[in-house]
Amino acid sequence: MLKIENLTKVYENGFVALKNINLEIPDGQFVSIIGLSGSGKSTLLRCINRLIDPTEGRILWNGVDITAASDDEIRQIRRRIGMIFQQFNLVKRSSVITNVLAGRLGYINPMFSLINYFPKSEKERALAALNRVGIAEKAYNRASALSGGQQQRVGIARTLMQNPEMILADEPVASLDPATSHSVMKYLQLLNKEDGLTVLCSLHFLSLARAYADRVIALKDGVLEFDGLPSEIDNERFKMIYGEDAVEVEIH
Amino acid sequence: MNTPAEKPQSRSQAALRRLLILVGLAVVLVIFAYGWDVTDIDFTVTQQPQRQQNVVNALSELLSPNVFTQEYTIQNTTTSFVMDCPADFTAPAVVPSEDAPYIEITPACGASGDLVTVTGYNFYPNALARINWIATDGERRIRQTLETNDDNFVTRGDGTFTVQIEVPRIRGTAGETHTIEAQGSFPDGAPHLSETTTIVAEKMVETIFLALIATTISIVPSAFLSFFAAHNLMRPVRIPLGNLLVSFTLLPIGFYVGASILSNIAAFLMRIGSENTAAAAVTGLVMLFGAVASTPRLRHAANGQEHSQLRSIIMTSMVVVVSIALIGLVGALALMINRLQADGILGYIVRFIGSLGEIIQLIVVPLSGIIGAFGLASIGTTLTRGALREVSIPTSHILGAVLGALAGAVLMGIVATIGMSAAWLGLLTPLTAAALASPVLPQLYRRFIKNNPRPMGTERFLLSVLSWIGALIAFITAYNVLDVSQALVEGVLPPRLVVASIAGFDVYLYVAEAMLIGAALALITGALQGTRANFGIGSVLYNITRTILNALRSIEPLIMGLVFVIWVGIGPFAGVLALALHSIASLGKLYSEQIETIDSGPIEALQSTGANRLQTIVYAVVPQIIPSYIAFTMYRWDINVRMSTIIGFVGGGGIGFLLQQQINLLRYRDAGVAVLAIAIVVSILDYASAAIRERYI
Repeated sequence: MLKIENLTKVYENGFVALKNINLEIPDGQFVSIIGLSGSGKSTLLRCINRLIDPTEGRILWNGVDITAASDDEIRQIRRRIGMIFQQFNLVKRSSVITNVLAGRLGYINPMFSLINYFPKSEKERALAALNRVGIAEKAYNRASALSGGQQQRVGIARTLMQNPEMILADEPVASLDPATSHSVMKYLQLLNKEDGLTVLCSLHFLSLARAYADRVIALKDGVLEFDGLPSEIDNERFKMIYGEDAVEVEIH
Repeated sequence: MNTPAEKPQSRSQAALRRLLILVGLAVVLVIFAYGWDVTDIDFTVTQQPQRQQNVVNALSELLSPNVFTQEYTIQNTTTSFVMDCPADFTAPAVVPSEDAPYIEITPACGASGDLVTVTGYNFYPNALARINWIATDGERRIRQTLETNDDNFVTRGDGTFTVQIEVPRIRGTAGETHTIEAQGSFPDGAPHLSETTTIVAEKMVETIFLALIATTISIVPSAFLSFFAAHNLMRPVRIPLGNLLVSFTLLPIGFYVGASILSNIAAFLMRIGSENTAAAAVTGLVMLFGAVASTPRLRHAANGQEHSQLRSIIMTSMVVVVSIALIGLVGALALMINRLQADGILGYIVRFIGSLGEIIQLIVVPLSGIIGAFGLASIGTTLTRGALREVSIPTSHILGAVLGALAGAVLMGIVATIGMSAAWLGLLTPLTAAALASPVLPQLYRRFIKNNPRPMGTERFLLSVLSWIGALIAFITAYNVLDVSQALVEGVLPPRLVVASIAGFDVYLYVAEAMLIGAALALITGALQGTRANFGIGSVLYNITRTILNALRSIEPLIMGLVFVIWVGIGPFAGVLALALHSIASLGKLYSEQIETIDSGPIEALQSTGANRLQTIVYAVVPQIIPSYIAFTMYRWDINVRMSTIIGFVGGGGIGFLLQQQINLLRYRDAGVAVLAIAIVVSILDYASAAIRERYI
């Protein structure tokens, strides 16, 4: 159970990204976060694994206060929270398998990891993760040699190495074409359904949210605008979230 | 634009702009003219015939480098000449010969300054010849002929020559009989490289390796420093002030423990190791094995908070002891290898490893001190971290005051000790005081006047003014109390008055005063901030590293070379040190700029997986910067080769030393060889480094 209480984030330059957000997300839910660019979607996700320190409020995960964790504790917590990024955030010059193994750094002996040594069991785990996202044969290619969709699957494989209980996906398909988008979303759905992972996924397109999410959260200017089922978003609500001039675009 | 009201305004604006451009151009002209004047530009000098002749001669010699040389067979023949024509003089008869060379001189007597004609027969045709004048002192004086104005002249196709020479002006030679010698020479055997070329080649090899060694030495330190000089890595590094103060206060104690106690481990290993390698190796392996074997067990045992603290402390102590022991072992091994007798390639390697061993021997004590300092600081942080987080807000401010006073005293103690070594370094003490005092006024403002944690616009400006005012007051106070002006103006170092002697250390009055100031200022700052405030240690380290790198970079290697020549004497070693130091500064800057341009995405991604800071750097930063690091290192080697060709001008070894000697002796043809060698090597390296860089960028 992820519980967000009175979460507020004000950036150094005074920009208020999140205003008093309250949320409860039970384990195993596929939650989609929608909203315009700059509405606070990325900030919310990054506050959950403390890549960004919130200004006020608390985030409790299974009873542990993430916002009060020390550096060591936050690393322990982050190991159980996977994150997937819009720009994939792979090290382009490294091989695919090194990128995947990097997801395991929080678990292995820091001394050995600094000289690039990974036990055999970890390499097998990495290959298994790559196999699961269907690109095991690319393991020894450079990450830059892969297509966008393949790179995002490497990102998912890297997350799998963490053995996570929750996945934060920040616009995971915004840089991909519609067909690839669906394939990547299907992998997220698979992790949600098969492994029972909680998924928090920010999306641009409402149609994707309708197709995959159990629940939709809408942010507007850092305020929680809507929280409910995807089917509850009618035309009126849509215009409330995206503004009067917006027209819903279908993505197939 | 269409409205009539706007037109005249825009026209006047355009006129104003034009006027401004004109004024700007005039200013540029004045600056340029001043520069022209300052640099003594005078083209009439270039027109003077004598100077033109000189430069043509020098250039023509420089452009005729004596790379090659040839053996010559020399023909010799002499005739006599009587000075000042005695009354009874009769010219001796010339005996013509069929094949042997001979010369005829007319007239056969004469006074100093007279012109005489020398005619030669049976010399090598079309070959170089010269005339020597041998007086009664037996010394050969080459007489330049009037026709060629040169030492040498060329014989005719039939082996004869006719030249005019001047009788030399030698005092007190009246009536003496002098000898005139004609020497013909003929090339004999194949041309081969001259002695100059051999020496130049030798020195060129020295030059290239001087550059190579200097570059290689600088890679590791500059790569290390570059991480501290990259703002995108350092800006986010913040730690609670309490932890920082605890570890900083422990640094000198840790250094003392490391340098005076733990370094004995390394010294002991080095002593027995250089005598008995087996014993040292066994000891080292046992320690290493113990360390590695106990790691997972401890990790396993760690469940509660207490256990994890204990484990972390044991781990840190073990890392400290093992790393000091390893240094000792490596040193011992190197020293042992040094005692092997070897020649040739093996000899180079033995001597190289031996000198590494000597370096370890030299730095083992300070290095142990540094390791000990960081070890103790880390243990202190581990022990107090939990407690510091739990303390209540009022307690945190009291703790901040106490720890702040301690840390401030330590910091100012270190700075003042450095400040005692040179007059202008004394400025460091008031500067540090200013830095310590700068947060005081903004903090007071925030706490008592306006409680807004995030300042904007004018308020931010006000805060920065306040911090400058506080810094200025602290600076002036420290400046006056410590009497820095005396050092600045008169160059007098602070007096070494001992106020107390603690554990064998003399505490000077100057240092004690500085420590008191530091303690007082840091007490106020610490009390206001509290131990729970986040301190941007990263920005501080970034600024210090950047300042040092920039200061070092602004000093030319030639000037550094001068200092190193004083330290280690004339020779390539001084050049290596000078170039290495400058390369560290400039590669550090170049490298850090590369880090600043990397994609931050992978860093964020790795942080989100729970990787620690070091792992994030190894896996997300290093792969991104390696290509440009290689390219910049090549570029720096290229620069270093250029620099090393002239570092010899200040005694730094390499080809510059030779070049300078040749120029000073006016041996331009020899200098020409050196210049040619430099041109060839630099252009080859230029090309090679460009080709390699192209491949990596």
